[in-house]
Amino acid sequence: MSKDMNNDAELKTANNIEEDFGNMLDFDDDDPLSATSVSKKSLVIFFLIDTSGSMKGTKMGELNTVMEELIPEIRRVGEADTDVKVAVLTFSNSVMWMYSEPVSIEDFEWTRLRADGVTSMGEAFRELSIRMSRNSFLSSPSLSFAPVIFLMTDGYPSDDYKAGLEALQKNSWYKFGLKAALGIGKEANDDMLAEFTGTKDTVVHAYSGGQLAQMIKIIAVTSSQIGSKSMTLSDDTNHELSSQDVYAAKQKMLGQQIQDLVKSQDYSDTVPFDTGW
Amino acid sequence: MLNGFCHTVIGASHITSGTVCQDSSVFRAYDNYGIAVVADGHGSKKHFRSDKGSEMAVTAALDTVEEFYRDPDAFEESFLNNPENLIKKIEKNIISRWNRLVIHHYTHNPYTEKEKEPFTEKEFKRLKVETVYGTTLIVAVMGRKFTFGTQIGDGSLVLICEDAAAEMPIAYEESAPANLTASMCNSQAINYFNSFYTLDEKPIAVFVSTDGLYTSFKSDEDFLDYHSILASQLINIDAFSPSIRKNLSKRSHCGTQDDTSLACVFDKDYIPEKQEELKEQVEVNKIHASMRKAEQKARMEKQRLKNSMNNARYDEESEL
Repeated sequence: MSKDMNNDAELKTANNIEEDFGNMLDFDDDDPLSATSVSKKSLVIFFLIDTSGSMKGTKMGELNTVMEELIPEIRRVGEADTDVKVAVLTFSNSVMWMYSEPVSIEDFEWTRLRADGVTSMGEAFRELSIRMSRNSFLSSPSLSFAPVIFLMTDGYPSDDYKAGLEALQKNSWYKFGLKAALGIGKEANDDMLAEFTGTKDTVVHAYSGGQLAQMIKIIAVTSSQIGSKSMTLSDDTNHELSSQDVYAAKQKMLGQQIQDLVKSQDYSDTVPFDTGW
Repeated sequence: MLNGFCHTVIGASHITSGTVCQDSSVFRAYDNYGIAVVADGHGSKKHFRSDKGSEMAVTAALDTVEEFYRDPDAFEESFLNNPENLIKKIEKNIISRWNRLVIHHYTHNPYTEKEKEPFTEKEFKRLKVETVYGTTLIVAVMGRKFTFGTQIGDGSLVLICEDAAAEMPIAYEESAPANLTASMCNSQAINYFNSFYTLDEKPIAVFVSTDGLYTSFKSDEDFLDYHSILASQLINIDAFSPSIRKNLSKRSHCGTQDDTSLACVFDKDYIPEKQEELKEQVEVNKIHASMRKAEQKARMEKQRLKNSMNNARYDEESEL
């Protein structure tokens, strides 16, 4: 029931309001408000990508190819009622954003990355922490979902990643964001990646080009589907969930789905990175 | 003479699920002041009476301000001497009234078995009464000598300044992203209020709205431009009111699907004097919006060109 308390007698039922909805679709040229646009709910996916020297060759080539293929798939996730935006942060000797702000998936084009230098992951965490703010990358009022943050790396950080992670962990968007990580090759450290995600369930490993392609798609598509899922109503109680409940439920769902999908993949015909492929 | 309006529309998601509207809104005009209030009940599992909580919050705000204005001259003098102190007193009084209303309602309406059903016995025992009624609250008061507002939790307060520009005088709370919000039910609620006041300037209008409205916009600029349009129509508010309601319904259905409330207070006698400036502001906003759109398009084109060049170089290097 609607409650304009200036009209105490007017307690509207859902049926009356459905009628309102029918009427509101009538376009009226004389109504100055009819020209104001309505924004869909939006979600930002952050990709944090290691572009250090060790990624050179097959790993980076494969990653570039997969990311180009991935964009149309993520576009389909957002088609229904969510505006999905993408932000890509690369880290090697320094950190760099692919675009100067999150870009709607409709307009996003992948810029092929090159690999060189060391692994400044701590600096990337600090940079992400600064940008994940209402005053920076997350300024859109329509931002209805906590962000998805996806880290990809093939080795151990060369800087003080713990200090960077500590700064990031204080960021409320990070706390309530969906976090996943992909270790590429045998040098990537799953424990360190789990420190970033907060759980081992959303950390996966790729040991070959085929696996890398499959893992990136699994994580990116699954996390954007779950991230943009409206979980304001719980089926059992018909009451909205709190943000903490939503975060916990989504992160758990992401972990389960990623693990299930990873187990269902067939990697028999792929050649490991670390055998020189 | 003060005037205003208030509208609350139920969220599309609430219609689908058959749940009640959690928002409340009110507007009142008196001889010495006008007041606009909105509140957004949290609605989640443990806040299962927050629709009542939001009603109580607007009632508490109305009654508190009315009591402070009982002797208008004395109140205005005290306010002018120490506005921060007076606003803090008002906030404390609102909290205390709201808590009394909550306890009164709870005492006369004990929890039903159906309300207890979703919880384990242990969970239910831990639930504080005020939590069950949790809500946000935004209050705007326009008086003879000053205007002030106060807010706890998400939602927005927009001021239409003397020069017809729209602004949000209360800063966004960065520690509360993506649906996290402060609440009247917090044990230290008084510390979560944010407020503003103007003494020297005479605003044209003040709008308060729950977050269902703000989140239906792409940018702060679009949100403020919307308020400029609203302000330019206040001169014919009775005729325009149905359009506002229709637009709020459209925003809820096509946007975040949340309950949406908007309330406003303005000086009816001041509007005709400012009407030309308000209309001009809408036109200026249109130009600025076109410029923003063109700049955004140019940035994207530049980036696309850069991408193409980078990718072409990448292909050349790969061939080598």
